[in-house]
Amino acid sequence: MDKEKVKQIVLDIIAEIAPDEDLTDVKPEIRLRDQLDLDSMDFLDIVMELRKKHGIEVPEAEYRQLESLDSSAEYLFPKFEAKAVA
Amino acid sequence: MPKARRKPEALDGQHFEVVVVGAGMAGLASALRLAMFGKSVLLLEKHYVVGGLNSFFARGGRKFDVGLHAVTNFPPKGSGKASPLIRLCRQLRIPFEELALSPQSFSRIAFPDVDLKFDNEFGFFISEVERLFPREQDRFQKLLRTMEAFDAYSPEVAGDVSARSILGEHLQEPLLIEILLCPTCYYGSAVENDIDFASFVMLFDAIFRQGLARPLDGIRRFLNPILKRYEELGGKRRMNLGVKHFVTKNDIVERIELDNGEIIFADHVISTCGVVETERMLSSASQDENADDVSRISILESIAVFKKQPADFGWEETIVFYNDADVFRYERPDELTDPRSGVICIPNNYRYPNGEQMAEGQLRVTCLANYEKWVALDENSYRSQKEICRKAMLEVALGYLPNGNSMAKELEERTELLDIFSPRTIKKFTGHLDGALYGSPRKSRNGSTRFGNLYLAGADQGYVGIVGAMLGGVAVANNRILRGD
Ligand SMILES: Cc1cc2nc3c(=O)[nH]c(=O)nc-3n(C[C@H](O)[C@H](O)[C@H](O)COP(=O)(O)OP(=O)(O)OC[C@H]3O[C@@H](n4cnc5c(N)ncnc54)[C@H](O)[C@@H]3O)c2cc1C
Repeated sequence: MDKEKVKQIVLDIIAEIAPDEDLTDVKPEIRLRDQLDLDSMDFLDIVMELRKKHGIEVPEAEYRQLESLDSSAEYLFPKFEAKAVA
Repeated sequence: MPKARRKPEALDGQHFEVVVVGAGMAGLASALRLAMFGKSVLLLEKHYVVGGLNSFFARGGRKFDVGLHAVTNFPPKGSGKASPLIRLCRQLRIPFEELALSPQSFSRIAFPDVDLKFDNEFGFFISEVERLFPREQDRFQKLLRTMEAFDAYSPEVAGDVSARSILGEHLQEPLLIEILLCPTCYYGSAVENDIDFASFVMLFDAIFRQGLARPLDGIRRFLNPILKRYEELGGKRRMNLGVKHFVTKNDIVERIELDNGEIIFADHVISTCGVVETERMLSSASQDENADDVSRISILESIAVFKKQPADFGWEETIVFYNDADVFRYERPDELTDPRSGVICIPNNYRYPNGEQMAEGQLRVTCLANYEKWVALDENSYRSQKEICRKAMLEVALGYLPNGNSMAKELEERTELLDIFSPRTIKKFTGHLDGALYGSPRKSRNGSTRFGNLYLAGADQGYVGIVGAMLGGVAVANNRILRGD
């Protein structure tokens, strides 16, 4: 697992919940909300899918860590690592 | 630390993480949304078909929609997620194309001296308002800006602001106010002669700013993909089985007693039966509790099926909202029905793809009706009154279609089948007290009740119509159960 993989996991989830979005050119450092048509309902879906598919929990107070692909990778990477060890 | 998650397998067929009561639009949407994320969900429906107020039935070898006139919120091209319908499809992961929606031809609002046309181009609607009310131009634009700045979907929105008074503050011509209230009330007001401003904005956008559409094969086209997905995800559904009582203890619903005497348990309960209806299912409730909160608005709807396309009668419009006076009356009539105002729907006149068309002509006419008067009738007079009222409604309605009155005889000769449903039918098939159409005047926007694990979804959140009820169901599933879970 590395941070690039985490970004891809998040992108795959977005592709599933928002099939109508073009994800070919998503900039990792820019807020997802500013480049894609995503709202708070969609972020809830990202969180729910992380739990369902990967057993990763994101408490509501920390949803904003998923703002951009970069911040998602920073925030989620240790969680994926911890999972892999466990 | 996140709570330990109980796996559905650990539940023994009597205990569910969520029980959703009512398989109408709101119930279906919330059940699907919860099943998507692995909740063990049981959907309970008293009736033998899904859909609630938007169900379907067969008669004379034909399939009919109960409620569907129009699916509102048809998104203008390229409108993306700003459109509630697109947002809904995304939340339910149902591709928009799967709904196979076809846009309307055009529709009308007909008052004695004014005939306003609109279609799915908002600019055309605005130009019609400006053509008919040139002196209101600036004030109307200001009203549009007020509406744009207003977040009608917010969970915190006040549900008791009068649209009539806000329209009055913005506009000077009373007739324009009546014309704006007529379609919005008919498509979603639970109160008489007014509508709350949040619902007004939602419906105005749903009807005019976005638009009207319908699938060629009707509401089933909408219901089937939802049911299919729900079942694929392992969601459970029991039909012909209603909830009798919610048994409460210490501010929570402790168990649920079903009509057949079975007892089931749920961590969370979502009721889509209506606020007053739900309260009356509480073990402690008396049967006439909160009678003032039952809406006085109900309807009579007649459907005529005939051997000819409506366009061949010269009727090209899809929906006509009509009213015979300058003042719009939206109130429980003193008589069984009030034929002087109503809504015509001609489902043939949606623009179906590749020139496809419904095999027969259909004309639906809806007028306001008095529930108490309808239930007071004995069986014989019930039957004969339905026919008398149907004729009276049709006669007036035809007056609002081009050359309608002169076509009356031919229409009758070509009619193959008539159906009518009354406030009694609505009560019977949806359990809504007094045959109420749009729920109670008392709304609970965020779905909360005084019981910690019981939430309301659907019409009584103040989310109206098909799209609204479904969005409401999704919002309750998200905010009450999935979020912070
Ligand atoms: C004639 C008519 C025409 C309409 N036309 C349109 C239209 O063209 N476009 C539009 O957008 N909207 C239309 N509407 C409005 C729209 O149908 C409603 O706003 C919407 O369907 C409400 O959905 P709901 O899920 O909130 O409630 P409901 O549809 O009422 O669902 C409640 C469900 O709960 C079930 N239930 C009740 N009590 C119990 C119990 N104790 N146990 C188990 N189940 C129970 C009922 O059987 C029902 O299935 C129309 C309505 C009517 C009646």
